[in-house]
Amino acid sequence: MQLTGLLWGQKLLKKVGYPVADVLGPEATVDEIKALIKKAGQVFIKPVFKGGVGKKGKSGLIGRASDITTALKEKERLYFAEHVFGNITSKADGVTFEGGVPAEHEVYFSLSESTVFRAPTMTITHHGGVDIEELPPEKIKEVPFDPLTGLKSFHVSNALEELGAPSELISPLVQNLPKLWTLYNNYGMNMLELNPIRMYKNKKGRLMPIACDFKGSFDQDDPAWERLDMPAHLFASDYSEFEQEINQLRTYQGQSDVFVMNEKGTITVPTFGGGANALVTELLGERATISSDFGGNPPYAKMHDISRIVFKYWLEQSNVLFIIGGKANNTDIYETFRAMADALRDHFRTHGPTPLFVVVGRGGPNLIRGMSYMKETLEQLKLPFRIFGHDSAMSEVVNYALAVDKWMAKEGTKQVAKNLGI
Amino acid sequence: MHKEGVKNFPYYVGVKSLKDIATKDDTVCVLNITGNESRTVTPTSHEFSGGNIVFGTSPGRSGQSLSTKLGKIPVYNSIKEGMAAGHKFTTAVIYLPPSGVKDGVAEAVKHNPELKKVIILTEKVSISDSRTIRAICQTNGVDVFGANCLGVADAWNKVRIGGALGGSKPEESLVKGTVALFSNSGNFTTTIAVYLLTEGWGTTTSVSSGKDVYIHYGSREFLSALDKDNRSECSVMYVEPGGYYERDLTINKPMVACVVGRWKAKLTKACGHAGSLAGSGDDAKAKEKWFMDYFGVKSIYTPEKPVFSKKGAVVTNISHIPEALTRVMALNKKKPDFKPMGDLSLKCWFASNAGVKLPKALDVKTVTAVSPYGEQIELVEKQIGAQFPRQTLKDASGVSMMDPKTQVSKIHGLSILDASKRSLEENLVLSLIGSYPNAYGKKLANIALNAGVNLEGSAELIVADASRAAENSPNTVLSGAVSVVGKGMVKGALKASEILFKAFETSGLKSPEDKADIAKLVKTLTKADIKALSAKKDDDLAVAIFKKATSVKGCSVFLDFIDKATGGNPSTDAVISAIWTTLGWEALIGNQISQITINSLPWYSRIFSTFVGASVDSKNHEGGAFFGVTTEKLLGWSFTETSFLALLGRRPSKDELFEFSMLLGLIITNGPGTISAQGSKGGVSADGPEVPSRVQINKAFIGFLTHTGFAHGGNGYEAIAFLIERFKKSGLKDPSKKSSAQDLEKIALTYAKEYKAYKVSQKAEGNLNYAKVPCINHPIFKGLPVNFDPREQFVRELFDNKKIYNVFLDFYGKLVNALYKTKVSSNVYCVNVDAVIAVILLKMVWAPFINGEIGDKEVESAAFTTFLFGRMIGCAAEIDDHINRGKNMDTRSPASVCTYVK
Repeated sequence: MQLTGLLWGQKLLKKVGYPVADVLGPEATVDEIKALIKKAGQVFIKPVFKGGVGKKGKSGLIGRASDITTALKEKERLYFAEHVFGNITSKADGVTFEGGVPAEHEVYFSLSESTVFRAPTMTITHHGGVDIEELPPEKIKEVPFDPLTGLKSFHVSNALEELGAPSELISPLVQNLPKLWTLYNNYGMNMLELNPIRMYKNKKGRLMPIACDFKGSFDQDDPAWERLDMPAHLFASDYSEFEQEINQLRTYQGQSDVFVMNEKGTITVPTFGGGANALVTELLGERATISSDFGGNPPYAKMHDISRIVFKYWLEQSNVLFIIGGKANNTDIYETFRAMADALRDHFRTHGPTPLFVVVGRGGPNLIRGMSYMKETLEQLKLPFRIFGHDSAMSEVVNYALAVDKWMAKEGTKQVAKNLGI
Repeated sequence: MHKEGVKNFPYYVGVKSLKDIATKDDTVCVLNITGNESRTVTPTSHEFSGGNIVFGTSPGRSGQSLSTKLGKIPVYNSIKEGMAAGHKFTTAVIYLPPSGVKDGVAEAVKHNPELKKVIILTEKVSISDSRTIRAICQTNGVDVFGANCLGVADAWNKVRIGGALGGSKPEESLVKGTVALFSNSGNFTTTIAVYLLTEGWGTTTSVSSGKDVYIHYGSREFLSALDKDNRSECSVMYVEPGGYYERDLTINKPMVACVVGRWKAKLTKACGHAGSLAGSGDDAKAKEKWFMDYFGVKSIYTPEKPVFSKKGAVVTNISHIPEALTRVMALNKKKPDFKPMGDLSLKCWFASNAGVKLPKALDVKTVTAVSPYGEQIELVEKQIGAQFPRQTLKDASGVSMMDPKTQVSKIHGLSILDASKRSLEENLVLSLIGSYPNAYGKKLANIALNAGVNLEGSAELIVADASRAAENSPNTVLSGAVSVVGKGMVKGALKASEILFKAFETSGLKSPEDKADIAKLVKTLTKADIKALSAKKDDDLAVAIFKKATSVKGCSVFLDFIDKATGGNPSTDAVISAIWTTLGWEALIGNQISQITINSLPWYSRIFSTFVGASVDSKNHEGGAFFGVTTEKLLGWSFTETSFLALLGRRPSKDELFEFSMLLGLIITNGPGTISAQGSKGGVSADGPEVPSRVQINKAFIGFLTHTGFAHGGNGYEAIAFLIERFKKSGLKDPSKKSSAQDLEKIALTYAKEYKAYKVSQKAEGNLNYAKVPCINHPIFKGLPVNFDPREQFVRELFDNKKIYNVFLDFYGKLVNALYKTKVSSNVYCVNVDAVIAVILLKMVWAPFINGEIGDKEVESAAFTTFLFGRMIGCAAEIDDHINRGKNMDTRSPASVCTYVK
């Protein structure tokens, strides 16, 4: 759950009275843009991406204009711009016009949770405006602090002094940066980054730390962000239709984290346990349709619902239904297997049979009752299957599933389909 | 600010040695001890550890206790209360929901100065709460384990604290040895311990660290404590991407590190383990490198390319851990702790090729499972039938539900819209068996159901007639008749079912159409059994139904069995039971239904027949015929036709049969909350389903019947009366002919105008309870310019496809438009599903009604009885479900939710 850019960033920053550059959204009229150019001297035109998209500048996705014609041209260029970073392609939906902030100094500031210090940590440098990773360590200061008291002025001043920052920067930053802890701490954030903060000299000649970009991420498990009344669609693009539907069932009791691995995958794998998820994800790679963790002893109804949704989206394209987990400590195998078997039966009843090979590897409480139920169901559905005990190496079971997938693609699917009368 | 603990840490760490993590001296308080997870896990932990839990908390449950084999663990409202009662503890185990975890930790720290450890099992604790928890515990000198972990365990001390390490049988996995375990995955903590046994390695201390963003007890603390534990000669560490916990470690004892999750670098979302999402510098590849540098190895260890040093090895697959550890330890001149236990090769416990020819490499054969699972498989294979866990079923059901969005109910996972395309007899079988019969089964079901319809001279009919004469409503009449069908009336059939079940229980028979060694099975019967299956002299019906059942195309091993067992002279009870056992056997073997259900089927069958039979007065049960149709002939009818006959005194046409089936199907259920379902469930609940043999199934049906009435079930007549009023003077003769429809728009518009005038006048008088037009509009399907009830649309489309016309349905469509045109409604209302039921019924009775053969009362009675026939399907399913899954008196409402009103 990430937010980037000032369109929404300014709303958050204004909540705690932090100074921010003038920003107009995609709906801005020509007159408004003209007025902003007149006021600020120039505007930056940035595409609006939902979710987290960084390094827009490097990708040439920031426009700059000091006249309305250029501004509108840039708007046209960037409105539906595409941004590729790693595996992820994002598409913009709109632009912002951000007033230029003339300044001599640019500051980088972030708050995040440090696994080194195991505490919330401020990262700061007065050599901002560039990628923080590109700076040598001595130019950056990381300051962990007590979450019970929060980020204090002295944390900022001490850090800046140790960095040797120009003295005129210290006072305005000390006055303003601690406000960001309020935003971070009160609204369920786990990362907040302002880069650059441009030190703007106001009419009285005093410097003001103006936020000229915003990046933030929210903790999915902390409902505090809901207090911000941000529209739900802001985060919706993080998820596919399937993910949105299934992650509605996400609660602490019985995990149900599910994400799409490959929309063209051929092995659908309900996985039990975070560890199994890591292992299976690793070994199946792009052959898997989804990555999932259904551990935590989900009750029957929830497991049935999860399975129903998974089957609805993925079964038809799958060669192998692969149910895998280690030796469960607490998850009731009878309940979870009964739910999956019943959901499979219901799926066949409502959508018709589909040629599948079922591979299962699992251990845990009520194991044999669960496996036996699954076996009876698969026999009735006339599907070929292998069910392995928890004393088989999980990776070997995964390799078996992979081999079955290959064979199914080659000839098995046809044979199974024929047997099912399809 | 933090307390002083183990030196050299920039933060507080209290545990010095691994041997101190889980000891017999640790005394434990479990927060939310009565929660779902704790209730199952805590007793095992307590028993395994020799009774280390001193008390638990659960607000509002003070005075209760959690039973264990070592005695009861007392429960208090709070820690303060538990400590005031004299209990002392050193370790708090947190099972609270995420939002309560921080408060729970604060409570434990505030009230217990002796607190040393906190173990948090809860998943999805927010990061802000985690950092606060850490700060509180750091300040007060308390070690935190987790969150999102499974706790800690010690195989030497035989202690586990917190979660379910080792599952329900910790002694199987936690075997004493020399390996210390640290794992980001709770499940893998146990799985790795089990894998290590295959190379002969046991464990000392196992730490499930959790994998949230905050890992409070991390690898650094673990390694410091490992150095001071002289029992642990080496360690295994399982780590996932994300976080810098493993960077810059000092590792002094040999270790196998398993780093997984390279592929995860491609993902942008954490799955299960909130903290396992890596940035650029803390992904799996980076972590592999950190460990390779510690061990001085150049690559990952695999069995094919074993790269390791005296210091350790890095693997990326947990199944390589045992072998890698053995090789690393061999360089250290250490042998495994004991002889290998088991191995990790593929062991298939259940298999089927389903008739497909598999390549040899994939055709893995089953092996006998390791003890005790092998024995359990043997036992399970002997057991047949489902066993459902019992739960409170007051407002819950295992067979029906209503989708709140679509308002379409389901029975056994099947939409009633789909069910309405099936016949009554098919749906009755579905209600109890959970699936539809094949063509052969359908014919058999008709024979069994029709066999009991003619009630000539029976007590059921006498009671029903008396009740009818007293002007009772149809549900009251049927209640009387059904009350006669007690267990004593069906004991012969129930006995026959029991005999059949016992004879075939261990036969391995999968399908009733399979072959079986009947002669051998017959030999298992006692003389009393054979007598119970044989017809007595006056059992005339037996011959007819057996002849009919054996003449239809298909075969049943159960019919053959009773034939052989009785020398060709089976009783009616035996035939009925053989038919129902045939219908239910596959579902029984497939664990879809229980033994309780299959043995009760003849009772249900008799009740279904009584519903239809007793809805007709005795003058139509005369001379061995039902409405003039002899029983022999009736055996060849479908039960849907018989039901139509009971209502209207004639056999339906093909179209009428389709419409009637659909009508009954649409009524089947509205989910477990509907009054009729609640009535039937209450009937079961009050008898006590935990002793299923005590439940009076006929009484449960009476519960259903008494929970119907003029407002529920009889209200369909309201729409019929409305339509009669509109059409009785229209000259309409045949509602199925479109030519009759020429004036529909005019009738609709005239009425809409009249209604508008009426509505205006009533409002002017201040009467807001003016009469509403029945069966239009719906609280869900509204608000659009033109609205539709999808259920009504479904039926309309089906009728259109079959070219079945219904003038009344057509009229309703025109009526909602007329109401809009005359501005009675602000948009075009939907015609709701209740209208569909009314129009189908009215069409069936229109001719006799308009000809004066039947009057308003008979039409009303027919409408109500039709509802009862349809709802009988759904309620049969609820009754059987409640008997199988419900608890004694589970439909009661606690006094706390009841209110007193004056």
